[in-house]
Parts: sequence; structure tokens; C-alpha cells
Amino acid sequence: MRSGSLAVTAALGGGIAALAILDGGSAPPMLWLLVMVVVVLSWYGLEVLARFDRPRWIGALVVPGLFGILLVWLWQVLVQGFDIPMVLLPSPARIAHQIAANTDQLWQDFRQTFLKSVLAGFTLGSAAGFVVALLVDRSPFLQRGLLPLGSLVSAIPIVGIAPIMVMWFGFDWQSKAAVIVVMTFFPMLVNTIAGLAASNDIERDLMHSYAAGYWQTLIKLRLPSALPFIFNALKINSTLALIGGIVAEFFGTPVVGMGFRISVEIGRMNVDMVWATIAVAALAGSMFYGILALIERGLTFWHPSYRQEQN
Amino acid sequence: MRRFPILAGAAVLALSSVAAQAQDKLTLQLKWVTQAQFAGYFVAKDKGFYKDEKLDVTIKAGGPDVAPPQVIAGGGADVVIDWMPSALATREKGIALTNIAQVFKRSGMMLTCRKDSGIKTPADFKGKTLGVWFGGNEYPFLSWMDKLGFKTSGPNADIKVLKQGFNVDPLLQKQAACISTMTYNEYWQIIDAGVKPEDLIVFKYEDQGVATLEDGIYTLDAKLKDAATVDKLARFLRASMKGWDYAIKNQPEAVKIVLKNDTTGAQTEKHQTRMMGEIAKLVADQPKGIGYLEEADYQRTVDILLKGSSDPVITKKPVGAWTHDVWDKAMKK
Repeated sequence: MRSGSLAVTAALGGGIAALAILDGGSAPPMLWLLVMVVVVLSWYGLEVLARFDRPRWIGALVVPGLFGILLVWLWQVLVQGFDIPMVLLPSPARIAHQIAANTDQLWQDFRQTFLKSVLAGFTLGSAAGFVVALLVDRSPFLQRGLLPLGSLVSAIPIVGIAPIMVMWFGFDWQSKAAVIVVMTFFPMLVNTIAGLAASNDIERDLMHSYAAGYWQTLIKLRLPSALPFIFNALKINSTLALIGGIVAEFFGTPVVGMGFRISVEIGRMNVDMVWATIAVAALAGSMFYGILALIERGLTFWHPSYRQEQN
Repeated sequence: MRRFPILAGAAVLALSSVAAQAQDKLTLQLKWVTQAQFAGYFVAKDKGFYKDEKLDVTIKAGGPDVAPPQVIAGGGADVVIDWMPSALATREKGIALTNIAQVFKRSGMMLTCRKDSGIKTPADFKGKTLGVWFGGNEYPFLSWMDKLGFKTSGPNADIKVLKQGFNVDPLLQKQAACISTMTYNEYWQIIDAGVKPEDLIVFKYEDQGVATLEDGIYTLDAKLKDAATVDKLARFLRASMKGWDYAIKNQPEAVKIVLKNDTTGAQTEKHQTRMMGEIAKLVADQPKGIGYLEEADYQRTVDILLKGSSDPVITKKPVGAWTHDVWDKAMKK
């Protein structure tokens, strides 16, 4: 533990020194030796720290956090040291500066893409998939007829469907939400159908012996059993929805939105602004996924995958 | 006796490699897909003008996702076709593009509006939806709106700006009152879609005094420092301008050459013939010869770009963004 902390602290000191040297303007050969020493020290320190199981927050928070800092630092040092042009790869410092300088614009883009297109499309698409799955469950005819159609719909590439949706629904967020509905429908459909089949015969027989009707069995047994599958689909859909929302904006949009910002700023060679938007998108996607994972944990605490951790 | 074919083969290979070495390689990146907009270069290649100058030129077609400045910065080309606003903005961002020839003297950009939207003069744009290309083509539009006193973004915008894709659907679907078009391309796509010219009203950027210079030949500053490369570029210019001259004087043949080079098969002879006619209007009548950049034209473009109030395209006057050195070398012979 002590050696690990010492190594990490030394690496941090070396890292700050390297940044200071680079800020001075030069990149002497000694600098690269320092960089290698810092990387080796960090690697060793993080390896030692990662072996600790108690307290849990060291392995869960400190090690990944420090590793992330190491990668960002390495990025900054390499870009500054080799004087890589901004239009090929901007440094993290420039990107952070752009985020700070354009917070209002980035927030407006986030509102347009995430809060309007993505959330609307995600909710509608997942709800549609869920409802159709319930219908399919009741009707074998639909099961044979609709599933192949569903898989066909899921294979449609975004770049083909986005312009068509723009023609149908106009330029604003509605067409982007429509694209997301198409993308998120099938995963939800398939996973809900699989989930509804997840309850065991013995449990269904028990409900039958209680004289439970179709709807009672559905709500009290089969839907709760299906929850792990449904959340699986929701987590997949969260990623798909964000991708779909951003890419659909490449094909005609009012002048606001994350996809719009990326395509416009790359045309203006403002690559640091593109990276700033990417950072916002990554943060939004991770938080969306994380919130869904938290809700899943709360509702499906009974599932074996959560119970194992108690030991 | 058995050695003879091997010896003969080796001799042929050696001779051909010597012959190939006599040709200098050069890669040209176009700004858009293969079409009559770039007829001069295809004509120069097919009629052997490049070969006469001992150049082996590879012409790379562009497209919606190809940014010529990025291609040349990444080493994928020696010269690129680009529009001056994009080239000057790129220069300010750190990729030192320099204009070595200005092929298009006039701008082909215009705003095409539906007459039934009620627009008769630019003042009528207020409150309407206008389609604009981005990716470097929005600068003349933004400076025109600035000149008219219209705000294009924010809560109290006077006009609604739409990021137009590279098609004319917004106008046909009535999603926008006006869209950006080129005189030689999208305008004719609208006509081909069934709209009559009487139902349209057009505003040419040249007439509005906000036109910026379009197709020009650009290369990186670093390449201009090497005398052998400058010589290669001068020969390229000479052959290319000869190609343009030939294309303007022999338009049907130029169209056939362009169609032959179009690997996608997407272009039609009717569309390319019209395009060639319109492009000829933009290229012809240059008193000092096709491709000579007039400093007054350059200055006018720079002034328009510096003026944008909220979001100027360039923030300071460019230095060394163009040169006549290669042109002079090309025309000396």
C-alpha cells in the first residue's frame, strides 16, 4: 500500500514537472526520459493499489480515476511535445478551454439533441417495442409475422433512413426522434419477448393453481421476471438513441444540436470544438447508462447477478 | 535460347521504369465529385497536356465528407481545389494553404426562392426559413445577412437558418422558402424536378455584392519552399490552364471526357452539358489569362470575411495567403 501510494505520488510530481517544462516552450530529450519514468512509476503504483480489496473505493474509484488522469496527461504531453497541429489532434487543455468558453452553446446543443430528440425517441421507441411484444405474446400469428419484419427494420442503416424521416417530419427534432424510434424498436421487442418467456413452468403452474387470470399472471409474475431483459434492452437503447440522435442531425437540421455542431465545426476546422462536443456526448451517454443501471439495481435486486456481491 | 525472354522482359521493365521516372507524380484533390465543375483538369489529363509537361497526375474526386484542407494536411494530395473563405479560415487555424491560381473569376452561388413564398426582395427574407450549406460554404451567406442587418441565430433571430444537405428537397417539400444553389448545379436540379423558372426567384451573390472567390488551386507553404516542387507546380498550372481553355472552347468534347472519368455513373450528359455552359461563364474572360488571381478580387473576399460581426470567419488579415510566383513561372515559357 505504501509503496503504491509513494509511486503514484512521485508520478504525479513528475507529471506536473513535465507539463511545466513543456509550457516553457521546449521539448528537450530529457523530457521524454521523464515521461517514461512517470509512466512506469504510475503503472507500478496503480498495479499495487489495484490489488487492494479493502477499502472498496480504492479499487473502484481511485485506480480508474488515476489511470484516466494518466492517459489525459500523456495525451497533453505528446501533443505539446511533438507540436501536433490542432486540426489533426487538439490537446486536452484546448478542449477544456473550448468547453469553458462555449458552455452556453454546448448546453443549447445538449438541450436540442439529448433532451428533445433522444429522450423522446428513446421513450417512444422502447414503449412501442414493449407494447408490440405484449401483443406478440398474445398472438402466435403476430409472433411468426412480425418478428422477421422487426429484424428487417432494425437492419436499416441510419444514413438511409435519416433523410427520409427529414422529408416526412421536417427538419426539427421530430425527424431525429423518428429515426431513434426505428433504431430502438427492435432491441426492446426482442428482449421483452425473451423476458416474457423467462418465468419457469413451475411458477406459472403455481399461478394457475391460484386461479390467476392472464393479466394477473402477467403483472405479478411474468413482467417482474422479464425486468432484467427489459433493462438490458433499455441500456442498449440508451447508446443507440444517442448515436442515432447525433448522426441523424447530419442530414438537415436547424442550426443547433450536437450533430450539427460536430459537422459544422469540422467544416470550419475547429477540431477542438468537435472534441468538446464529443466530450459532452460521452458524458451524457455515460450518465444516461448509469442512471438506467441504478434503476435496474433497485428493481432487480433479487437477480443472482446482484446477490453474488453480498459475499 | 531460354534466357532470351527473361532478358527481353528485364529490358522492357528497365526501359519502362526509366520512362516512368521521367514523369513527375502529382496528386490533385478536387473539392467535389467528378463533374464539369472540374472539366479543365480532366481535359488536360485525357488530351495529354499533363503528359506533355512530363507530369503523371492523379485526380482524386471529392464529396460530402472530403475536406480538401484535411486531405492535403494529411499528405493525401499535393494540390487541392478549394474556395477562398475555407482556405483562409484553414490558414488561420494552422494549415498554411496558399493560393497559386484562381480559376473561377466569378461566383456561381445564389439563393433560389419560391415565388409563392412572397419573397420579392432580400428585405422579404425576414421571418422566413432559408437553407444554407455549411462545411465552409456558409460564410458568404452570413456576411450577406449581416449586411442586410438580419440576425441568424439566438432567441430573436430575424430568419430561420436550416442546415441544408446537398440536395434541393427543402425547396421542393416547402420546408424552406429559399435554398442555396449553384448556378451550375442545384438550380438545374430544381428545374429537372419539375419546377418552372417562372415560379422561382433567384438572388445571385455577385449581384448582391457579397460574392467570395470560389474554385482556386491551393498548396501548402512548405511545398513552395522547394524549387523542384515549384517547377512541378508551374508545369501543372500551365497544362491545367491549357485544359480549361480547351474545355471552354470545346464544351461537348469536355462533357464527354468528364462523363468518361465519372466512375459513379451518377452524372447525366444533359446535366453536365448545362453545368459546362455555366462554368464556362465563371471561368472565361480573364484579361491576364485563366487562373491569374487579381489582388482586388482577393481583397474583396478578405474584407467580406473580416466583417462578420458576431462570428467573423477570419479574425485577422491573412499574410502570404497567395502568390503569383508559380503562375509567373508557368507563363514564362
